Amino acid sequence: MAKTHWLYAFLVLAATTARAAEAPAAGGMERGAYLARAGDCIACHTAPGGADFAGGLAFDTPVGRIYSTNITPDRETGIGAYTLEDFARAVRQGVAKDGHHLYPAMPYPSYAKVSDADIKALYAYFHDNVAPVKQANRPSAIPMPLGFRFPLAVWDALFLKEGAYRPDPAHDARWNRGAYLVEGLGHCGACHTPRAVTLQEKALSDRDGSTYLSGSKFDGWFAKSLRGNDRDGLGGWSEGDIVTFLKTGTTDRTAAFAGMAEVVQHSSQFLTDDDLEAIAHYLKSLRARQGAPEAPARTIQAAAAPAEDHPSRGGAAYSQYCVTCHRADGGGVPRIFPALAGNDVVETADATSLIHIVLGGGRIAHTMAHPMPFAMPEFTKMDNREVAEVVSFIRTAWGNDAGPVTVDQVAKVRATLGKAEAKP
Amino acid sequence: MTSALPQMKKVRIMRQTLLTGFLVLGLMPPAVAGSPVQDSQPPSLLVKFAPPKLADIPDDANGKQVLYGRRLVMETARLLPDNVGDVLNCTSCHLGGGMVAGASPFVGQAAASYPRNNARAGHTVTLEQRINGCFQRSMNGKPLPEDSAEMKAMIAYFNWLSAGLPPHAKVEGAGIGKIDKSLMPDPAHGKQIYGAKCAACHGTDGNGLKDAKGNYVFPPLWGDKSFNVGAGMARTYTAAAFVKHNMPIAWGLNAPLGQGGALSDQDAVDVAEYFSHQPRPDFAGKAKDWPNGGKPKDARY
Repeated sequence: MAKTHWLYAFLVLAATTARAAEAPAAGGMERGAYLARAGDCIACHTAPGGADFAGGLAFDTPVGRIYSTNITPDRETGIGAYTLEDFARAVRQGVAKDGHHLYPAMPYPSYAKVSDADIKALYAYFHDNVAPVKQANRPSAIPMPLGFRFPLAVWDALFLKEGAYRPDPAHDARWNRGAYLVEGLGHCGACHTPRAVTLQEKALSDRDGSTYLSGSKFDGWFAKSLRGNDRDGLGGWSEGDIVTFLKTGTTDRTAAFAGMAEVVQHSSQFLTDDDLEAIAHYLKSLRARQGAPEAPARTIQAAAAPAEDHPSRGGAAYSQYCVTCHRADGGGVPRIFPALAGNDVVETADATSLIHIVLGGGRIAHTMAHPMPFAMPEFTKMDNREVAEVVSFIRTAWGNDAGPVTVDQVAKVRATLGKAEAKP
Repeated sequence: MTSALPQMKKVRIMRQTLLTGFLVLGLMPPAVAGSPVQDSQPPSLLVKFAPPKLADIPDDANGKQVLYGRRLVMETARLLPDNVGDVLNCTSCHLGGGMVAGASPFVGQAAASYPRNNARAGHTVTLEQRINGCFQRSMNGKPLPEDSAEMKAMIAYFNWLSAGLPPHAKVEGAGIGKIDKSLMPDPAHGKQIYGAKCAACHGTDGNGLKDAKGNYVFPPLWGDKSFNVGAGMARTYTAAAFVKHNMPIAWGLNAPLGQGGALSDQDAVDVAEYFSHQPRPDFAGKAKDWPNGGKPKDARY
């Protein structure tokens, strides 16, 4: 690649720039609306039961509670008075019309990569096609001195990299389109890239290092690695699996849960097949993170026959509480109940998500392709010891290769749910 | 049988004694409607639904027998092919192996709580006879010999599930819940409901769904491989009560199965009428049912 001829590089660059900036509309969906779906604006800017885009959703950040803002075109309480330049500055630089700095819960470090053409289309959509809602923004509850916003300018100066996405001439148009969507509007790194103590994402693209999308603890969950060759990432996934997952919320072996179910429901299911294929192609190109073994070329075998006897207390609990849906062989039921055998969420080193979903339950994405949004029940009534036993069983049964979990780990996850252990 | 777990039993009895105290002070036990066989019992005590834990089963002879009984309940068709004529397992109707409230649990069905009056049979039945009723109707097969190791193991499992309960205790969550029997079924609407809410698991043709090894995950709801007309589930209101309170599974956050709550009473009656009246095997012994009258209005013959 180092020897790529400059003219070739220029031509690829020109072609990919045109391609990356071109957002095809899906099924007649207006382009700005499509981009708003791709950016999943609705997820954060809509409170439960509230009007679309009117804001008010609470975020408990490490420094205090903040609320998303009204981005409907209401002139007084929303962004109706914003010019295109105001809008672009807010989305890409995190600075509101009146000059105050937004909290970086708004993923403007990612949105900085959105092209001018797409910003323009988004502006037109929010200005002309979204219904204005008069709803004043709620003040944040961040204590002094962190409540001052001026340090955010310093944060931005340190961590915000301005400038629209620059296509990588070493890759083709499809890869660059995928990178543009993943690193930019898709802001996948907001959850899937680990953050530093200063709360910025440690990497905003693969060029910044292999911590990019390498998995992160987030809001009582572990958002798994999305690196295409991490064993606990997407190493066991084909590009087709990724496309199916983003479109339907399920594959034959797994299902989106927690925040990702919402992403599929509100955002990725609406993307065109071309865009989903580009995303999958890009993610699969990401090498294993530094220090992590490359994923072996593993095909999931049908799990061993059901054990004739419970091998452990955890196995007995599995047989009592889990077996009806996830089956004795841990194979689940394709597209209905996730397999637990050979499931990378189960096998990932950080068991936070697995413990969380056992305790708190969850619901798969409700999509056009999957009208039955099945749920995982919440097992809050199991005590911490029982949960540790059954989770340890799941992580070591059927050839799964992950360590057991401790009662203390379960207690920590339970604390994030705010549900006390039942007294026996 | 129950002596295998003396410590647990003691705790359970203490808990029940406390509960019983409150009940005697005036709480009325709720009516339990629509189990496949209309069991009628003497007035009894309401106890909380608290099945024991498989993890607490001791590794001894009794424990092994209980686990064998459990396995027979979970994999009946595979393990007892001479007795099961269709492809169902006990757990197809008694969800979670009879350990789930509202899903026709076996908790409270110890041998000591039998014989019970049975209007369909016209006489009292033993637990063995009751189990064999299922084999001949819901499983469209042949009865298990009453002295077989398999029958004894299943009863050991039932007894373990009910350990510590007074013989005629009325367990909260017994049966399959209630349905409004005055509702008139609309099978055409039921067909729509079936397509929208049932077919994903039970198949558009009611064929059920198999796993990679060929064992059924979701049972067929009609056809040669399904229950016969003598089964409780072939009756509209029994099926409707079951569907309303137990289908689909994995629908809500309620542990352990998240079952039920997807349909209104009317929708449940409509879909139950639709699937229960699809073609299915006949029941040879049907002429002997309800010899003393009292046949319910949704009986199939």
